[in-house]
Amino acid sequence: MAVKIRLRRMGQKKAPFYRIIVADSRSPRDGRFIEEIGTYDPSTDPSTFKINEELAKKWLANGAQPTEVVGKLFKAAGIEK
Amino acid sequence: MQRILQVLIRKRFFRKRYFMEKIFEQALLYDFYGDLLTEHQRQVYEAAVFDDMSLGEIAAEQGISRQGVHDLIKRCDKILAEYEAKLHLVNRFAKAKEKIGEIEKLTKLEADSNAEDRLHRISLLTKELLDTL
Repeated sequence: MAVKIRLRRMGQKKAPFYRIIVADSRSPRDGRFIEEIGTYDPSTDPSTFKINEELAKKWLANGAQPTEVVGKLFKAAGIEK
Repeated sequence: MQRILQVLIRKRFFRKRYFMEKIFEQALLYDFYGDLLTEHQRQVYEAAVFDDMSLGEIAAEQGISRQGVHDLIKRCDKILAEYEAKLHLVNRFAKAKEKIGEIEKLTKLEADSNAEDRLHRISLLTKELLDTL
């Protein structure tokens, strides 16, 4: 069972806001997720994000796959495997 | 000339949001013009832009090829960009938002010797905002 770290959009129309979540790759659309490890808000200037580093590292060490954008966020936050 | 200017403004607006601008730009365009896409296009585009799913995952879910998903997303990007090129709703929204933000900041500052400058700036911004409507 592949576990992925991905963004999920929250927020109203015209005000995108994302949660960074850990979720099973097979049930990505039903709203369930295993754990929320951070947030990303691109509508502030500059964009802001919060990541729980401890949880992120834990999930990476357990083999969770970040998506491309989440990978970029991790890199910006200085989180490596 | 007008058109080049608009592209420049748009680029500047999006460049500020440094490295993640793409998913943000896609989300905003979708919020404004998404209703003009077909049901199928919306499903696929939302999966990619709202749920950050990979091409492979979307392909499996929709029962189409990975290449098909890729083409569909590219096509939606193009359709949405064309609406924006004609209607400029996102661009106007962005400019108005920027100005309203500045007005808010200006009104929150304590009264000081620059109060007159600020009032002047506020009235200028309000005028510009009215012009964008």
